Amino acid sequence: MDAFQGLLTGFQVALSLEGIMFVLIGVIVGTLIGMMPGLGPISAIAIMIPITYGMDPAPALVMMAGVYYGAVFGGSTSSILLNAPGISGTVATAFDGYPMAQQGKAGKALAIAAISSFIGGTVSVVLLMLLAPALSSVAISFGPPAYFALMFMGLTAISSLSEGSTIKAMIAAVAGFMVVTIGIDPQTGTQRFTFGNVNLFDGFDFLIIALGLFAVAEVCMLILNRKNRSLSDDQKLGSLKLSKADLKEMSGPVSRQSFVGFLLGVLPGAGATIASFISYIFEKRIAKNPEEFGKGSIKGLAAPESSNNAATSGAFVPLLSLGIPGSGTTAVMLGAFLVLGVQPGPLLMTDRPEIFWGIIASMYLGNVFLLILNLPLIPYLAKILSIPRPLLISLVIMFSLIGVYSISFNVFDLYMLLVFGALGFAMRIFSFPAPPFILAFILGGMMEQAFRQSMTISNGSLSIFVDTPLPLSLLLVALISLLVPAFLKWRSNRLAYKQR
Amino acid sequence: MKKTIFASVLTVSALAFAGCGSEDTANTAGEDGTFEPSKGIEMVAPAGSGGGWDTTAREVARVFGETGIIDENMTVINREGGGGAIGWAYVHAKEGDAHSMFVASPPLMFVPLNGQSEHGHEDFTPLANMIADYGAFAVREDSEFEDLNDLFDQMKDDPESITVIGTSAPGSMDHMQFVRIAKAAGVDPTKIKYVSDQEGGALTAVLNGSVDVFSTGVGETIEQVRAGNIKVLGVTAEERMEGEVLSEFPTAIEQGIDESFVNWRGFFGPPGMDEAAVDYYEAKFQELSESEEFAEVREKYGWNEMYMGSEEYSEFLEGEKEEIAALLEEIGLGQ
Repeated sequence: MDAFQGLLTGFQVALSLEGIMFVLIGVIVGTLIGMMPGLGPISAIAIMIPITYGMDPAPALVMMAGVYYGAVFGGSTSSILLNAPGISGTVATAFDGYPMAQQGKAGKALAIAAISSFIGGTVSVVLLMLLAPALSSVAISFGPPAYFALMFMGLTAISSLSEGSTIKAMIAAVAGFMVVTIGIDPQTGTQRFTFGNVNLFDGFDFLIIALGLFAVAEVCMLILNRKNRSLSDDQKLGSLKLSKADLKEMSGPVSRQSFVGFLLGVLPGAGATIASFISYIFEKRIAKNPEEFGKGSIKGLAAPESSNNAATSGAFVPLLSLGIPGSGTTAVMLGAFLVLGVQPGPLLMTDRPEIFWGIIASMYLGNVFLLILNLPLIPYLAKILSIPRPLLISLVIMFSLIGVYSISFNVFDLYMLLVFGALGFAMRIFSFPAPPFILAFILGGMMEQAFRQSMTISNGSLSIFVDTPLPLSLLLVALISLLVPAFLKWRSNRLAYKQR
Repeated sequence: MKKTIFASVLTVSALAFAGCGSEDTANTAGEDGTFEPSKGIEMVAPAGSGGGWDTTAREVARVFGETGIIDENMTVINREGGGGAIGWAYVHAKEGDAHSMFVASPPLMFVPLNGQSEHGHEDFTPLANMIADYGAFAVREDSEFEDLNDLFDQMKDDPESITVIGTSAPGSMDHMQFVRIAKAAGVDPTKIKYVSDQEGGALTAVLNGSVDVFSTGVGETIEQVRAGNIKVLGVTAEERMEGEVLSEFPTAIEQGIDESFVNWRGFFGPPGMDEAAVDYYEAKFQELSESEEFAEVREKYGWNEMYMGSEEYSEFLEGEKEEIAALLEEIGLGQ
């Protein structure tokens, strides 16, 4: 019962007065930062590194972990209320959360998000507790061919992520692919579409795209529709109470996607953003009423919210058990570990059990705190919508600019935010859906790199994707998910024809 | 409105974070030809928080302050982007500013040689080198290869059978340190298969057997070696390193391959920095390098001492650059 003993040690750290205090600070800071459009955990943790210098590492790291999952928890708020993603992991939350808020169900949407987040976070901490040592083998099971297959599987969902014209969805996706190729190509070191501009060498940060296409474009639409008063009356907070039917509807997605999110979080490189998209698509694919997705579906909100929180805990598996940072935030956390004199890796559990288990135990505590903090705040948060429209619009623009500037303190990025805002606005006007663009941007980069790494390894032979069971089975799933809906449609058409 | 207050605090701190540099570039050399900083010194880390450059800059600034070697406040700012190019361009624009410097390592050479920065080391004023780090070539614990010669013999027989992975792009550090040692061992450098993984998947790909060799920094391998996941076939240091696990790593030179590679880390000022200021910083860095406090920092991160004054540093860099440029030319990545 090593894990059990370890966990006891962990709770000793987490439940000490110091432990509780730093968990609380961490999750409060995290929630607040997450709520603000664009400001994410990376900059918050980076600012904390010099502050925590010389502190006892266990509480310092417990606090930083709290900032991380607290931000993912809080990030849903501005996605739902303003269509301005708080962090990149909550972009998918806006797909159904924002329509719900517009239908006057903002309170309900926030409550669903908080509960889904809590369950996703808690389930994944339990998994982390029980399985962290064993899961390190899962974290390394994906080689380049398997990553390619996983990303390919995600991409098959492009058509299902859009309403209306499939051709327009495809055009948006291709545009997303084109944008992600901008920058220095990692496999050759060649500059692509940079026009020699040093600001483009690293390509675009995901947040610039997400805030541009969602927040700035939304602001433009609000300005355009300013005569439309329907949204500014007072019904929009709605009831907080979830009915039994609501709870029943979200129970399926939450229980499934907590596991899916956790597993995707464990894979280095996948992380909360990809997990939330894949979970959204997953639920839409298996839903009886997929046409409700994107129009305020409870399932469509619960799925990404449980998944992104679960993925956040999952991301601690490779970090704590292998010393591999799977995402930008965990990379900064790895730096924080080193500055505090702790080497994360396969030996952390035996060398520093109080840190390894302390972080895990504190996450359990932190999720409870987050729920207690967030639920009573919902009525006040939802009042954001009562802020006079001109003020609200200015605030969203300001926060988006601050968020983008805080990524790398580069003014060029601000212009790019406006460019993508204009693009997003144009896409709205001409009804090109934004989600396929975003999805292609997230998955496309990793997919291309994984494909080319595979090709180099196999000396150009495509058989590398079918030689081993893991990529082969992922590709088969992709194929099935493409063919089955088409087949079902064909069959129902034929039945309808026969009946006639 | 808690949210607003918090946001404004954050804004202010973000602005303070970014805007520490003032544009004062006046020549501050005293009348007797000596230099003393007259205001805070800006230390640029041309990368984001948490990485090697950022850590070095922050530790150096901290120890400078704590020991009182330099009294003036030293503020670290991050100028991220373009593999360093954005930070370099930023410092380059501060010509003659004696209160500005940045931390650098071999990418300051590789990135311009790969055509991705207008500015290389020769465009700046070298102040001092502080630290040496070395590369390591690791394979999975159960690999058939026992030493570098096993690996290189296999690469000579069948170069297509071996894939090397690293974090940096082709033509940059992880790639070129391997090419340099392999070439000295007689491997055809144009036939080395290298893939880059910048998403943190390089070690993963070695552990799950997707690729064969991991070319990385020595520090990245220690925990994995201790855990029995990988073994280090050779390191690029000239002599055996000191330290618990480090001393077990054989050098390439020991294995009969007469080549080494040092991942140097030092500090540069903007172009045209006053000579008196260079002398001042050079002496201060030497004092820092010899201090007990900085020795502790080196030990904490597993860095090796490698102090070089401005002039020696310049000559060393010239020699390195020539060699790397020739090597890049040979494998077809020269610009």
